[in-house]
Amino acid sequence: MAQFLEQIINGLVLGGIYALIAVGYTMVYGIIQLINFAHGEIFMFGAYIALMLVTVFGIPFWVALPLSMVLCGMLGMLMDLVAYRPLRNAPRLSALITAIGMSLALQNLARMIWSARPRQFPAEVLPTIFLSQNAISLPGGASLPYRDVFIILLALILMVALNRLIYLTKIGKAMRACAQNPVAANLMGIKTNRVIAITFIIGSALGAVAGVMVGLREVVTPTMGYYKGVAAFAAAVLGGIGNITGAMLGGIIIGLAEVFGAGYISSGYRLAIAYIIMIAVIVIRPSGLFGRSTGHRA
Amino acid sequence: MRNWLVGLLIVGLVSFLGCQAQDRSTGQTQRAPRELKVAVAAPFTGNAAAFGEMIRRGAELRAKEINDAGGINGMKFTLVFEDDAGKDAEASLVAERIANNLQILAVVGHFNSSCSLAGKPIYQRAGIVELSPGSTNVTVCEGSDWTFRNLYRDDFQGKFIAQYIDKILTDLQSVAVFFDNDDYGRGLRNAFVEEAEKIGLDLVASEAYDRDNTDFKAQLTSIKAKNPDAVFISGLYTEAGLIAKQAREAGITSQFFGADGVDSPDFLTIAGEAAEGTYLTTPFTFGAAGEDALQMAANFENLHGVAPDTWAALTYDAVGMIADALEKTYNSEAAVADNRKAIRDHLASLDTPEEGYKGVTGLTYFDINGDTVNKPAYVKIVKAGQFVAADQQLLELN
Repeated sequence: MAQFLEQIINGLVLGGIYALIAVGYTMVYGIIQLINFAHGEIFMFGAYIALMLVTVFGIPFWVALPLSMVLCGMLGMLMDLVAYRPLRNAPRLSALITAIGMSLALQNLARMIWSARPRQFPAEVLPTIFLSQNAISLPGGASLPYRDVFIILLALILMVALNRLIYLTKIGKAMRACAQNPVAANLMGIKTNRVIAITFIIGSALGAVAGVMVGLREVVTPTMGYYKGVAAFAAAVLGGIGNITGAMLGGIIIGLAEVFGAGYISSGYRLAIAYIIMIAVIVIRPSGLFGRSTGHRA
Repeated sequence: MRNWLVGLLIVGLVSFLGCQAQDRSTGQTQRAPRELKVAVAAPFTGNAAAFGEMIRRGAELRAKEINDAGGINGMKFTLVFEDDAGKDAEASLVAERIANNLQILAVVGHFNSSCSLAGKPIYQRAGIVELSPGSTNVTVCEGSDWTFRNLYRDDFQGKFIAQYIDKILTDLQSVAVFFDNDDYGRGLRNAFVEEAEKIGLDLVASEAYDRDNTDFKAQLTSIKAKNPDAVFISGLYTEAGLIAKQAREAGITSQFFGADGVDSPDFLTIAGEAAEGTYLTTPFTFGAAGEDALQMAANFENLHGVAPDTWAALTYDAVGMIADALEKTYNSEAAVADNRKAIRDHLASLDTPEEGYKGVTGLTYFDINGDTVNKPAYVKIVKAGQFVAADQQLLELN
């Protein structure tokens, strides 16, 4: 029982992280039909930027986290401006290949700046609540570190906030309009390029949070964006790419599937099991859980 | 202007290829080279980069000593470093590049077993020696006359670890294995499991992990439920460090045991306090080494400012062996292929203790496969954040 409970927690933490990344893939796809393969690298930069802020510049963690979100948002916007905006009216394949190129370029840039050595957040710069010995004891000898509670709660809060932003604010309305029909939205006076830039900023900022979370639990490396990025992409597809609620739920499903697959079926096929679930869903519902099979993306 | 440039490029390319072709067709080098080149192929980036760094430094020290002493028969000894990133796909590319570079006479490398295995057929086809200072998978040297190594195999290492736990760490009755799902991790696990079953250790779990992942909580939670006395981590230092850390977080209090893949100072920095008390095996330790090894360690620190590790010492010896072979066999009049073959023949002739190469890591000589079977394993333990030789060593296996 304790084992089951712990696996649920492991899955939820992983799923929360995947959900935060998956939202970035799905938002961009919803608006410009681009699978932004470099999103995993934004996630990685988020972790490195926060790490540099706390270790090199000595900024407290609680300031470094939002600052890393802001800087990554800027990086996402810059990426759109430099790499994708010039290709807005080019064939989709050109933008897709550019995205793969951006991913490789950013990954190697990180390797040049920070070397391939894995890095960790040193315990002395973190708030004491994040130290792994500070944990809630669960029945049956399981324990739940406050850090993991924080990750789950933060993911939840950000998801709700994003949902409210999309459905209750003016910019959210503009984003939904662009997703439905960019030309019509433009004719109605919506500045599409600005809306797209804001989409990139929000997606990248959420990716940065996920990067910092992974940095806290695991380790920071230039290739960290690959594994988590691929899993999060699978989550976005599972939920129905372009659909934000779907991405959130997809993240949780992939996270739980990965953990339960590894814990109860076979650890050698950890991610493969998660992918099999994704494929099974796609076979039954080709547009994913929440995707619409006809009409427009939202 | 542009046409002119393209023309120049073509002329340059054609003349370059022409020279190469001439080299091959006549089998003669145009003039005696002023330097002898040997490739060092290792993971200079990626998950095993800390090993690569020590390999580079060990090789550099040996090359510097050789050149300071006047080179090899008056010719400069030069190393060419090639990065395989610890990945088999990358290693194949590196092997092709090396094999096709007719200036390179031999290869010291690769480090990861998967990489040595990927390079093996390519080096065999090209007829160039591959001398690994780090690959321990059983099959690395099998089926090729061109692949050698100067350390033990995993069938020995796995058996050694099982017997060490059985005979010396007698408190440990049940063991869980957590292995890297690659040639090294799987091979070592198989050897360990085979021996453990034979001698009656209680194996309670065998879980795999994928090297690209850094979250091991799911598997660790399963292992924890089995409550083993010891966890044997069959993998490399980065993941082993994270596993140790995450295992302690998850409330696993078992004794950790690692193998030579964990033998890097980076294991200590990644695992932090969780490394404390971990046992591991290694093919060489300065703590149990002779006078010349200590001298080498001092020279290493002078040159690089850090202490050498096991891999620096094994690479130092491997480069020394190749240099020794070059000194005895290199003929500037002969074709590249013949010089490459002469090195192989020289290494293959080192097949008895009397013929063996005396290096800082002990005597190295090869069996019919190109394996080194005489070298012992040592056990280290992490104490106060440092690797030290374990109090009790296991000298003989049953």
